[in-house]
Amino acid sequence: MTAAIETRDLTRRFKRHLAVDAVSMTVPDKAVYGFLGRNGAGKTTTLKMLLGLIRPTAGTARVGGVDVARDRIGAAAKVGALLEAHGFYGNLSGRENLDLTRSLLGLPKREIERVLEVVEMTEHARRRVSDYSLGMRQRLGLARTMLGAPPVLVLDEPTNGLDPDGIADMRRFLRALPERTGATVLLSSHLLGEIEQTATHVGILSHGKLVLEGELARLKADLAPEIALQTDDPARATALARARGFEVLAADDGLVARLKPGEDARTASAALTRALIGADIAVFAIGARSRSLEGIYREVSPPVPVSQAKT
Amino acid sequence: MTAVPFFAPLIVEARKLNRSLAALLAVAAPSLIAIFTFFNLLRGKAPQPWDMWIVSGSGIWAFFMLPMSVTALTALVAHMEHGPKAWDHLRALPLPRWRLYAAKTICVLALVALMSAAVLVMTWGAVTLGAAIKPAVTPVGDFDLARYAAIFGKMYLAALLMIAIQMWVALRYASFVPALAVGIGGTFFSVVATSAKQGIYFPWQMPVNMLATEAWRANTALGLGFGLGVVALLAGLAHLSRREVL
Repeated sequence: MTAAIETRDLTRRFKRHLAVDAVSMTVPDKAVYGFLGRNGAGKTTTLKMLLGLIRPTAGTARVGGVDVARDRIGAAAKVGALLEAHGFYGNLSGRENLDLTRSLLGLPKREIERVLEVVEMTEHARRRVSDYSLGMRQRLGLARTMLGAPPVLVLDEPTNGLDPDGIADMRRFLRALPERTGATVLLSSHLLGEIEQTATHVGILSHGKLVLEGELARLKADLAPEIALQTDDPARATALARARGFEVLAADDGLVARLKPGEDARTASAALTRALIGADIAVFAIGARSRSLEGIYREVSPPVPVSQAKT
Repeated sequence: MTAVPFFAPLIVEARKLNRSLAALLAVAAPSLIAIFTFFNLLRGKAPQPWDMWIVSGSGIWAFFMLPMSVTALTALVAHMEHGPKAWDHLRALPLPRWRLYAAKTICVLALVALMSAAVLVMTWGAVTLGAAIKPAVTPVGDFDLARYAAIFGKMYLAALLMIAIQMWVALRYASFVPALAVGIGGTFFSVVATSAKQGIYFPWQMPVNMLATEAWRANTALGLGFGLGVVALLAGLAHLSRREVL
């Protein structure tokens, strides 16, 4: 089966800055692919190359099997994109804005009603876009990406700037998108929770490189679980756990002891509890838990050192 | 998706312009010349020939109002996309990008053509109205419509290079400052050096040279303005279509 999106060694250099470094990513058909990375990691540059807005310095990008560099218009016909800058005309209504794009795409008028219904914006469509909230603009942007029912939707930071209600609302839409539209969704974000709750697959971009990619459930399952613990003496607890062969990390809510692959979490947790109590360390909480996307992300995407960040 | 109709971008541009203040600008510029002509006529004591009024109106249009109007129109048309940052959306659509830029250029050219015609019609109207109010200044001689229309037509064609430059600057730069600076600068030299010999080589002075008494000056300015204008328009479209908007 052809991947919905596929890049091979996709690279983009801006003078001396290597923004995207030999990224080879595969977005399976019908997936919701969470494209994660810090601000400045190269996500938007990669998306712009997929949309043919900028040219790669090296490598190839294919959308629906069409090479973007060789046939930009053919590739663009397979994509609907929601970019950070919406580009709506504030003096026109939501419906009029959609109608301009519909005309440019040569689509029938009924397409407008269809996409407005999908994003539940029919009743607001006659209002001027300048009167819309940011959440409504995002929904209108989603509606515009769906004009012509393209098989691939590219959404760049769709929850940026939204309030908590708007974020929850957008998540609900994003989760339902593949079912409602049958499209593959490439969703870029720097919000881990957003991706964890909506994506089936993830790709993590760090300093321009794709450092991890795969099906989210499998990535989490493949990693050994960890033990979260809270004690009255983290320093001694850390030393004791390390002496017993655990890799120990400090977390926001206490300590995290990583298990070795294949190790039984419940047995290890019980052994560690006995050891802590035997060493007269008060244990407030202890328990095994599966690894979160945040844990995976932090492991593969270290922050830029301060000395490098300034250059 | 079906094949996109060839004229779709042009129709979309016209719809966007229809909801902007372009119509106000298109009416305001010729009206100001007509109002000036009307009160100037009423100040007079003796009748003047039609030629004097029409050449005066066309002169004001050519060396000042036309370059200023082109500056404002091109900035307005470009900022319909620069303002809401709509270029990425438009340029990501599955249609040749040159058609987006060509549609904007055609709209500007059409509006300038309408404004040129409006200057002639409104100047005639202002003089006719003034003469009705004050019969003593009723213009003498013939109103030679064909000749006057030809003057405005040549001014329009000679302005093509100036329009191409203003259009490119307005579309190239997201800020309206470069387009205004170029337009104001060009108009400034057009006003302060209207009769300069070198004016036939200066895009903002090419239209006013259609009033030159020496035929070679008018022909040179017309040839350069129109010929280089066509080349500059095509080169501008090619460059804008190919460049990356970062």
